[in-house]
Order: sequence, then C-alpha cells, then structure tokens
Amino acid sequence: MKKYFILAAIIAVAFTSCKKETIVTEHDGEATVQFDAKVNNNDFVLNQNITIGARTYNFKNLRYWVSNVALVQANGTEVSVPNSYFLLEETNAVTVQDGAYTYPASKRENVVVKNIPQADYKAIKFSIGVDARHNDNLSLQAGELSQLSGMTNVSWMWHTSYIFSTLQGTVSDGVSTKNFKAETGLNTNYKTVTLNFPEAVKINSAKSTNLIFGLDIAKVLQNIDLITNPNVGAAQASIMTTLADNYAGAFSVQLVK
Amino acid sequence: MKRQLIILLLLPACFAACRKTDTSRGPVPVPQEVPAFFPTPAANIDNPLTQEGIELGRRLFYDKRLSGLNQLSCASCHHPDLAFTDGVALSQIGASGLPLHRNAPALFNMAWNSNGFFWDGGSTNLESQAFAPLTSPDEMHQNLFQLIDELKAVPDYVRRFEEAFSDGEISTGNIARALAQFQRTLVSAGSRYDRYRRREEASLNAQELQGLQLVQQRCASCHDGELFTDNKYHNNGIDADFSNEDAEGIYQGRFRVTRNPADLGKFRTASLRNLLFTAPYMHDGRFATLQEVLDHYDHGVKESTTLDPQMRQRAGQAGIPLDNNEKQAIIKYLATLTDTAFARNPRFAAP
Repeated sequence: MKKYFILAAIIAVAFTSCKKETIVTEHDGEATVQFDAKVNNNDFVLNQNITIGARTYNFKNLRYWVSNVALVQANGTEVSVPNSYFLLEETNAVTVQDGAYTYPASKRENVVVKNIPQADYKAIKFSIGVDARHNDNLSLQAGELSQLSGMTNVSWMWHTSYIFSTLQGTVSDGVSTKNFKAETGLNTNYKTVTLNFPEAVKINSAKSTNLIFGLDIAKVLQNIDLITNPNVGAAQASIMTTLADNYAGAFSVQLVK
Repeated sequence: MKRQLIILLLLPACFAACRKTDTSRGPVPVPQEVPAFFPTPAANIDNPLTQEGIELGRRLFYDKRLSGLNQLSCASCHHPDLAFTDGVALSQIGASGLPLHRNAPALFNMAWNSNGFFWDGGSTNLESQAFAPLTSPDEMHQNLFQLIDELKAVPDYVRRFEEAFSDGEISTGNIARALAQFQRTLVSAGSRYDRYRRREEASLNAQELQGLQLVQQRCASCHDGELFTDNKYHNNGIDADFSNEDAEGIYQGRFRVTRNPADLGKFRTASLRNLLFTAPYMHDGRFATLQEVLDHYDHGVKESTTLDPQMRQRAGQAGIPLDNNEKQAIIKYLATLTDTAFARNPRFAAP
C-alpha cells in the first residue's frame, strides 16, 4: 500500500511538473484596465489648446510603458499579469527612425487582463517604464516591447534604454511659444505605483470587471518649466527624474466595478 | 502486482507529456572559449552560444542587407584583417556621408566586457549595442521593419533563424542575439606574447622584455591583465576642456552616460592587443602612430580636474616620463601582442 502511495506521489509530481502557469478554472475572471489621461478633471485631448496654470499647451502625443502589472488580493496575495509590457498612448502619427517609417496615429488606453483567479481584490500595482532586466537588453522583447514602435530611438540606443514616457507638443506663456519634448528613460527612473481601491472588488467569471485609473497630465507637468527647458531627456537628468516622479504620483482610481 | 505494472507503464507517459511536441534536436551549444590566464568571462545567461546562432551571426555581420541602401555591412567599418577596425580616424562611409564622431572600435575579447560598449559605455551589452549603428542615419540607417522583410525573403535565413532560436522568428531581437553570439567568439589570444606566456616555443628578446616590464610598471593600472584593459573609463589627458555639450555630449566622454561631473573626459581603456592592426588611436583616432601615443603620455598630457591620477607620474605633475629607449622598447613589446592568426581566422571571415 505504501508503495502505491509513493507511486501515486511520483505520478502527481510528474504531472504537476508539466504545468507552466497557474491552473485556469472556470471561475476565473476578466478585467478591463483603463488608463484615462486627463488634465485636471477634463479629458486629455490632442491638437487643441489646453490651459494649465499660466501656460497654454497643445499636445501632439502622450506615450508611456505600463509594465509588471499585478492585482493585489484582499489577503495580500499578488497576482502578476504575465508578460505585461503595455504601450499606452494617445498620439498623432510618429516619425520613427528619423523618417524611415511612420507609426500611425493611435489611441490606446485599455488593457484587458484575462484568467484572473477568483477572489476579492483591493489594489493594483504597476510600473511606469521598463524594468532593468528588459531595459538593459533590448533583444529580450517581452510583451509589447519592440524597437519598432518608436519607443527607442538613436539617442536612446547610444545609451541603452527604452523611452519610458514621452509627452510632446507646443507650450506658450503668452510671450513665446516653444516646441517641447519631455521624455523619461534609464533604470533609475523606473517607478512603481500602487493604487488602493476604495473597497475590495470581487473578480470572477460572473461578470467582467472595469478598473479605470486617471493619469493627470497637470500633475505630470508640475514644477517642469518647458519654456525654459523644452527638451527633457537623459542630458537633463534632474528634470527627467522630477518628471518620472511626477508620473508616479499622477495616477488615481476613477472607478472600480 | 498487475496494477503496479500499469502504474509503472503510465509513468514514462506522464514524463513524456512534459516534453515539447517539437522533436527537432535544437541548436548545438558551444562553450565560451576562455584562453589560458584569461579571467572568467562576463555572465551571459540570456543568449547562450550555439553553432547555429554563431554561424547566423557571422552571415549577418557580413551582409549588406543590414544597411538602408544595402551598401554597408558591419564589416564595412570592422574589417577582420584589421582586428575589426577600419584604419581611419573617423569614418565617412555611413549613409549620410558625414564623418562620425568616434573611431571604429576593435572587436575582440568582448565576452569579458560587462562594463559597457562604445567609447563611453553607453551600450549595456552586445545585444543592445547593435541597434545604434544599425539605425543611426550617419551609419547603416536601416529601417528595421524593412530589414525583417528583406531577411524573410531569403529562404536560407528563414531556415537559419528557425534552427538558431527557439521561437524561430526573424525578429530584431534575434538579429541582435545572433550578431552578439558571433562577436563573443572573436577571441584573440594567439600573439607571440601569448605563446611566450604559455611557454609554447616562443620567446621575447631583451628589448621586448624591457618593454613588457615598462608596460607593467607604468601602464598596467589601466591596461590591466591578459585583456590589457580594465574595461573602465579614464581621462588620459588628451583634452583639458569638456564644456562642449554638442551632439548630446559626445565630446564629454563617460559623462554623457552617467551625468556625473567626475566622469567628464573619461573614455574606455582600449586593449593593447593587436595595436599594429588598430591605428589610428584614441576615441577619435587623433594619433596616427604608437610613437605619437607614447609622446603624448611622456610630454603631452593635459592637466584637468578629472585627469586620472596614474597620468601624474612626473613627480606628481602631468605625464608618464619615458625616454627614447624606453619608448622603442615599449613599441617593440606591443608588436608582440599582434595576433595575426586572429586577423586571418577563417571562422571569423566573410562566408
């Protein structure tokens, strides 16, 4: 009898060792995670004059990586979304590789997460940018990471990094108008955000869940003077760090249901 | 008993179920070559060398399809018979025809470098390095989408990517991985000095031995060990003013990458191996001969706040004193570090 028990145990191990991912059950749920760009309480729109404080902006694009998404259960267990490197954007057409080709205009604010284990969830964790392992080796290309989407370019490839976020357009203070390009990148500017839900939400197969988060561009641009410094990038290290910190603090929970 | 047998028969089936359905043998692993007296190579967990990957990398390295106008390959600026340099100070053969800002670096013993590629270390590893020269409008100016399409149109490449990589795809990532694999096989340790070091029927004469001793005494703090480079960044006094911020800080050395003022004017230590192949010297190729280089260290070193302390060997003043006899001995010794077998190795040559 004991022998059978051991054999059964071996068989159990043999089968479980085949597993690559967590067991998918019929009770698993699905969630649509939306990152809704805003300016204060208004919708973020491209190609229109938008006033923030004493400045008037006209945005041409907003693009950023959301990576390593995890949902946090009420008991603290974190459920990681596999391969989660998502390019969120509201953008006019982007000229890539100095005009070699064009990335089409696009608006992408939703990420659909499937196979979420049935449970009560109290928070979401995600990062802005790309973790050091993938950022240091441009050939790894997990999820949506690619050299082909214009989120690296020659400047950044001479200094290995993805562009973690880019915000471009024009800015005016009534006296002068400047074209600006405010970008973040480099491992030190990889920021992780945790957002707690107002109350725990049940995710299961009974319904699809909507998780809507706001990204306030007014907060992103706090203390960034784009008239004086219209280019923010690796050569403006301290401003770039302020910008990266601003992104981390600019997300809020809008709706969880 | 019978039941037990059935269970036993089941066992191999369950284990077999774990295997991939694909029954192909997969690429053949190749160990990293490590010559005697060399240190342990840098860790390389994400891109293990395989016969198929190395051979694919070699073919890509020499393929002009990798440039926008299909007129340049990697080898256009990295000639194998010049230890993969191009013999000019600043190349002008790129897509824009503009002179580049920096001298084409030699390609050998890169498997030991975990401290950044390019003269300022801006590139973290070989896999990431390839994308800059591939896409730069002043170099190969290759549209990466187009490159994938061009390679997919070649059945031989379709087969080779399938054989070399588990996902079998012709992708930018796999192109970079194959190129990196080939480059890690470019190991140079076959000079007369190496054979002398390994006691393989080679000798150095008295003058060469004097040169060896001088290099060990006065140069080895940077040109360290059997690689003859510490793979670090130093200001060797060729300039004193690093205030020019043009071209994203290209003239500011390692500072471009770290933004740390202590790194102004620092560039990566070049290896002393294969110097007879790699003239002209320095990050911008400003010195045509080894004589000029040694004259610089003797009496041309410029003082600045970031000057390497080892550059002040003249009783605390800038410079490394060398008389003419010493310079000649060093030049003779450096010549023994020439690896002609490396420069002629058919494994590294165009397919």
